[in-house]
This record gives sequence, structure tokens and C-alpha cells, in this order.
Amino acid sequence: MTRMLLLISNETRDVTSRAAAGCFMFRASSRRELQTIPGPLFPCQDPCSLVRTMAQSPDAATRASPPPDGGWGWVVVFGAFISIGFSYAFPKALTVFFKDIQRDFQVSSSEIAWVASIMLATMYAGGPLSGVLVNRFGSRPVTIAGGLMCSLSMVAASFGNSIIHLYICIGLIGGLGLSFNLNASLTIISKYFLVRRPLANGLAMTGSPVFLFFLAPLNQYFFYNFGWRGGFLILGALLLNCCVAGSLMRPVPSAGSLSTEKKSLKDGEAGGQGTKLKSNCLSRVKIVDLSLFKDRGFVIYLIGNAMFFFGAYAPIVFLSSYAVSRGVDELSAASLLSIMGFVDMFTRPGTGLLANTRWIRPRIQYFLSFAMVFNGACHLLCPLATSYTSLVVYAAFFGIGFGMVFALIFECLMDLMGPQRFPKAIGLVTIIECCPMLLGPPTAGILVDRYDYRYLFVMCGAVIVTGGLFLFVMNVYNYHLMDRKAKAEHQERRGEDAQLQGRASDRTPEERPRAAGSGEDQTAPAATEEDEAMGDHAKTSAEHPSKESQEFHDISI
Amino acid sequence: MSGNVCLFLNWFCLLVSWEAEGPESTQTPPVSSVPLIPAVKSVVFKGESHVENVQVLKPTYLSLECTWTGRQNKPPNITGFWRKDGSELTSSRHTVLLENQQYNLKREFTIADEESLGNYSCVFDNQAEVDFILAAPRIGDVRDKPIVAYVGDSVVLECKMEDTKPKPNTWNWYRANETEKDFINPEADPLRYGVQNKEGKTRLTVHNLTEVDAGAYYCGAVYDISITMSRVDLRIITFMEPLKPFLFIVAEVLVLVSIILLYERGKSQGSQPMGG
Repeated sequence: MTRMLLLISNETRDVTSRAAAGCFMFRASSRRELQTIPGPLFPCQDPCSLVRTMAQSPDAATRASPPPDGGWGWVVVFGAFISIGFSYAFPKALTVFFKDIQRDFQVSSSEIAWVASIMLATMYAGGPLSGVLVNRFGSRPVTIAGGLMCSLSMVAASFGNSIIHLYICIGLIGGLGLSFNLNASLTIISKYFLVRRPLANGLAMTGSPVFLFFLAPLNQYFFYNFGWRGGFLILGALLLNCCVAGSLMRPVPSAGSLSTEKKSLKDGEAGGQGTKLKSNCLSRVKIVDLSLFKDRGFVIYLIGNAMFFFGAYAPIVFLSSYAVSRGVDELSAASLLSIMGFVDMFTRPGTGLLANTRWIRPRIQYFLSFAMVFNGACHLLCPLATSYTSLVVYAAFFGIGFGMVFALIFECLMDLMGPQRFPKAIGLVTIIECCPMLLGPPTAGILVDRYDYRYLFVMCGAVIVTGGLFLFVMNVYNYHLMDRKAKAEHQERRGEDAQLQGRASDRTPEERPRAAGSGEDQTAPAATEEDEAMGDHAKTSAEHPSKESQEFHDISI
Repeated sequence: MSGNVCLFLNWFCLLVSWEAEGPESTQTPPVSSVPLIPAVKSVVFKGESHVENVQVLKPTYLSLECTWTGRQNKPPNITGFWRKDGSELTSSRHTVLLENQQYNLKREFTIADEESLGNYSCVFDNQAEVDFILAAPRIGDVRDKPIVAYVGDSVVLECKMEDTKPKPNTWNWYRANETEKDFINPEADPLRYGVQNKEGKTRLTVHNLTEVDAGAYYCGAVYDISITMSRVDLRIITFMEPLKPFLFIVAEVLVLVSIILLYERGKSQGSQPMGG
């Protein structure tokens, strides 16, 4: 068994596709074997982020067991399903109430539409703040806090007498609460799952279309029976269910962490240990972590996503009016969006399942590019659809493309960043995506006013296809570069290890936790893999932390 | 000053009467607004029936004409007559000759007031007919569900005439009882009612709602010929009504959260003696 693991650890130094082999040999080996080897094995990730991932967690070196990948994890997925469902579906489902609020407050339709836009924008802009809170407090308290905030904001809004009151309550406070929910749910999935993570992500993201499917008619029912004020009050109560979802998000049990923390406390300063650790934590807290931009994979992901979000929502906004302009009656035009949502509901878990297979998991970034290109191609072909039947076909394919992208979008970021950096990364991604997401529909609207609906679809399709192709090409390039550098340093280390073998027995294991916890780009546990290759256990890791970190740092730039 | 005169023009005798300006309009229109050549609405049709909507804004003379292509066997003459609102007009029945393979019925009507509006039909031999529905512009955007408002709050009721249709002179609001409609005068009760009229829109604001205010309200678009009504229902509820589902859901959430957290604590206490 040791020999097989030797093979795994060598393989995983190289490009992700070769790590696929390691992936499945890893699965074949028993869990018991794994637990005897210190240091985590995440063979399905690319080596750079893998190493940085391990370096950043305070208990990385001591985490003897891999993520649960099941068991309570599925309950957590259900909680995330509820949480994500509310986050995405709620701003869209609110539009049912707008006509009456517009009449009562005597405002124009664009002024009332701002309520939903502010809510969506705040949900995305609150990402960095939620990231910091999730890192500090964990997912459970943040989700519960988010649910309480949303709920109180809707109750306060039900007593409102001006549109500004609604902007602040629903838009700002509600949006912030939803952003806490979103970030915390995604983070806890990344902590609970690794091998089955794409499936877990796909299932959790299904919350969005499912909730929209049920929230829209439910809102209509509340509206007709209680008016908009009563409707807001009851929706405030419904949002409290996010707190239920949050209470399901039990923190991940990590077996060895408790003992090692005590150990590091002892090894550290004698007096005032608690405060010193605390001040260390606070000094490292940054709301916007710009060092993430040094990661080439992250920047590529960001650009591709920004292009996707620019073109993603405009077709949804204008689909019904396009159908009406092509001669379809209003009721059928409205049903097109329901068809899209219905197809989306089944596509997301299906995509998660597909992304989990052995052929696709290692190439998941390419799968995302494919999904984006598919989505964009649908939009480019839409102007050819003139009858109701062809529009239904378009809506179905749109649903498939949209569902595929959204099932993969956060999984790919987790794959790039790893569970430790994910909360900050998702915060940065959402706040940057805010701009294209808000600019997309109005720009499309200008195109519709000046020219024709066809230009809208062509523009959106072209931008999304370009984003997808950009992701594909740049990922190929990125992995090629990483492959070359990994090979080069692999050769170097082979030469050095022969020398170090002699000096290995002198070092103590205490240096490992300190090295692991002291910085962002230190790579102390990285050497554990190499140690296994050599047959040693936790001995040589402390020897070249600086050298290893230097090399991996170079790769990331 | 008022008077009656019969003006002979071609074959018509235009009976005209007028009155000095007063608040109510007279039975027949004043001279200046009478079109000497009446407006014509003419329809050519096959088959058995056809419906034509005619929009009338003010008192006028209207000439309605029907041309029917007939059936396969075309007798040289058939009987034709006119109907108004289902009952045959006296002395309207006469013989219609086949000309150019078609039958033609034409008649002139005086549309003076609201009673003149309605459903006029030209009937060919009880085999084919055209219905001309004469009416003032109708309000299209009707809300079928009642507006819900709360006790102590204020509510806005709205009516809108489509932009494509001619705009009314003014708007009136009425409160409906079982039998009749009461006109709402905002000046008489400014603390409770407010009316805002713009070109094609009207808004009625009712302040300090009580349960008595619930019921049907009618907005009337006032045209010279008649007033078109549209109904808006108002339903008044207290705050207790949405509060009940609210409290029920809050209770459900509290129960679920307690169960989940207690279960977890029970489980962790159970496992503590074993591990560390």
C-alpha cells in the first residue's frame, strides 16, 4: 500500500489530468490506510493551490482525516439548498408585488425596479465582508445572522411609507443578509466535500430554480389575499427558515485538531497566549485580500466569469417581450421562462453528477468553458426562432446551458482556491461580478430600443462565447506553464532529497505546525508528500519550507 | 333661448333644436356640431354573422350600411330589417333587391344620448346579420381581483384609459351600494377622499380606512355621449390577518431550530465519554 501511495504522491506533482490517475487510486485505497499517513491528500486539485490550501489552514498539518464526503454532509447540502434558494430566487420573486407598491407610492416602474436591483447588487457586493465573517466565525452563525437580518428587513419593509424606506430595508439590509447566506452555504460545502464536491455543489445550486418555481405563485397568493404589506410580513417569517438551514450547518469535526492546538499553545509564548493568538488572527484579517490576484488561475476565472455575467441575465429579462414581438400571446410568452426554470431544475444536479465522473472531474475547468460556449451558442441561434415551438426549444436549451454553468461556477472556484481561501475568493469574485451583472440588462435594453431584439441576443451570445473560449484557451496555457515548472522543480528536489536523507532524523516535529500557521504562502506540509515518497514520515517537512515556498510562489506568478 | 327648425338638405329633414348653455345637455345636439354629411359605417360580409364595434364620443348622426354577398341561390329579392337591442325597429322592414350579386341595407340613425347607444343589427331574411355595437370608449385594463388594504391605512384606486383611445373630458368616482351609485365629492370630504385627474388617468385616495369603506367603487370616464364605468373592488382587513400565518411560521422555525440543536447536543454529549 505504501508503494501505491508513493506512486500517487509523485503523480500529483504534475498536471491535473495526470492527477486523475492519482484521484482514483486514492479512492481505491482504504480510509484506514490514509489516516495513518499524516498530512492531507487532495490529489484531484492542481498542485499549486493544493499546497497553498494546506499551508493556510491553521490546523492543516494536523488534520488527519479528509473531509467527510457524505453522512451529515448531505444534510448540510440540504441546508445549503434552502439557503442558496432563498438568496437567488427571492429578489426575482419580489417583482410580483411591484405594481401595487408602484400605485401606492406613486413612483415610476424604473424606480420600483431599483428595489430588486439594489438587493441583488448588495447580495453580490457584500461578498468580501461575508467572507471575512465566515472565515472568523464559521458558516453556522453567519447563516443564522443572515436569516435574521433578511427576516427583520422584510418585516420592517411591510410598515414602510416611502420608496426610500424600501430601498434601505429590502435593498441594503435584505441584500446583505442574503449575501451572508450565500457565502456561508458555499463555504460549508467546500469544507464537507471533496471527492463528491461537484455533485454536492450541483444539488445545492438547484435550490435557486426550485425556490423560484414555488416562490412566484406563493407570492401571488399572498399578494391577492393580504396585499403587499401582509405579503412582506409573511415573507419575513419564511426567511427565518434560513436560520433553520443555518442550524443544520454543523462545523466540520476535525479529530486531531484539538490536541495539536493545545500543543502549539504550549510551544508558543507562556503568558498571554490567548490574547496573542487573537491579535494574530485580527491582524491578518483583511476585508479585501488582494494577494489572491497573484494567482493566475484566479484572474483567468474572474475575467471569464465577468464576461459571462454581462450577458447572462439580459436574455431572461427580455425573453417574454421578444416572444410577444414575434407574435406569441402574452400568457405563452410568460410560460417560456417557466419552461426554462423547469429544465434548469433538472440540469443542475445532472451536471453535478456528470462533473463528478472520472473523465470530467480532472478537466472541470474545461467543462465550465464548454458550458459557457453552449449557453452563448443558444443565444446566438435565438434570432432564428420565430414561432412559439422554436422559442420553446430555445428556452429548453437555454435552461440546460444556464443550469450547467451555474452548477459548475462555484465548484470551479473551489477547485482553484481550495476550502481555506474560498470564502475570501468568492467574496472578491462576487463584488467584481456586480458591475457586469448590473450593466448587462440596461445595455441590452439600449440595444433593443435603438435597433432590434436580435442584436440583444447576438451581443449576449457573442460575449458569453468569448468568455467561454477565453477560459478554455487560458486554462490550457496556464496548466501547460504549471506543468513545465512542476517538472523542473521535481527534478531539482529529487537531487536534494538524496542529500537530506542523512540529516532527516535530527529535526523535531514541532516546527511543522508553526511553519504551517505563520503565513499565506508557506508550504511546509507540501514536503510531506515527498517524505512519503521517500518512505519517511513527518520529519523532513521543516527543512525546506522557505525553498519550497519560493518555488511554488514563482509558479503562481 | 331655444328653438326647433327643420332644415331641408337634399332628401333629409334635419330636425334641430337647441338651447342656451346650461349644465345639462339637450336631447338633440346644437346646430354647430351637427355634421351635415353623417358619419358612415359600412360593412361587406359573407357568411351568417359579423360583429362591428363602433366608438362614439359625442352626439352625432350615424349611417350604417350592410352589404351581403348572399348564398349560393340568390333570389332576386329578400326581406331586410333593422333591430335595436334585439327588438325590431318599426317600419324598417322592406324588400331588398339583388344588385351586382349583392344585397344592400342602409339606414341612418340619430345618436343623441346614452339611450341611443346599444346594439344595432341589420338582418337579411333571418339568414344573416351584422351587429353594430355602439358605445363610448371602454376601459380595457380591468382588475379582476380586489385591492387589499388595512384599517387605518390609506389606499389608492386607479383607473386608466388606454393611450390609443380618446381621452375623456373628466373622471367621476362613485361608491356602490346595493342598488345605486353614490357620487364621491372630494371637496365635501377632503380629509377622507382625494381625487387626482390627469389626461387619461384618475386616482382616488381614501384616507383613514375603516371596515365600512370596503366594497365596490366605480370610476366613470365622462364623454359627451355617456359615462363609461369600470369597477374596482376594495377589501379591508386588519393586521391580525397576516399576523396569524406569520406567528405560525415563526413558531415552526423555533421548534425546528430547537430540535436540531438539542439533537446535536445530545449526540455530542453521548460521544464525549468515548473520545476527547
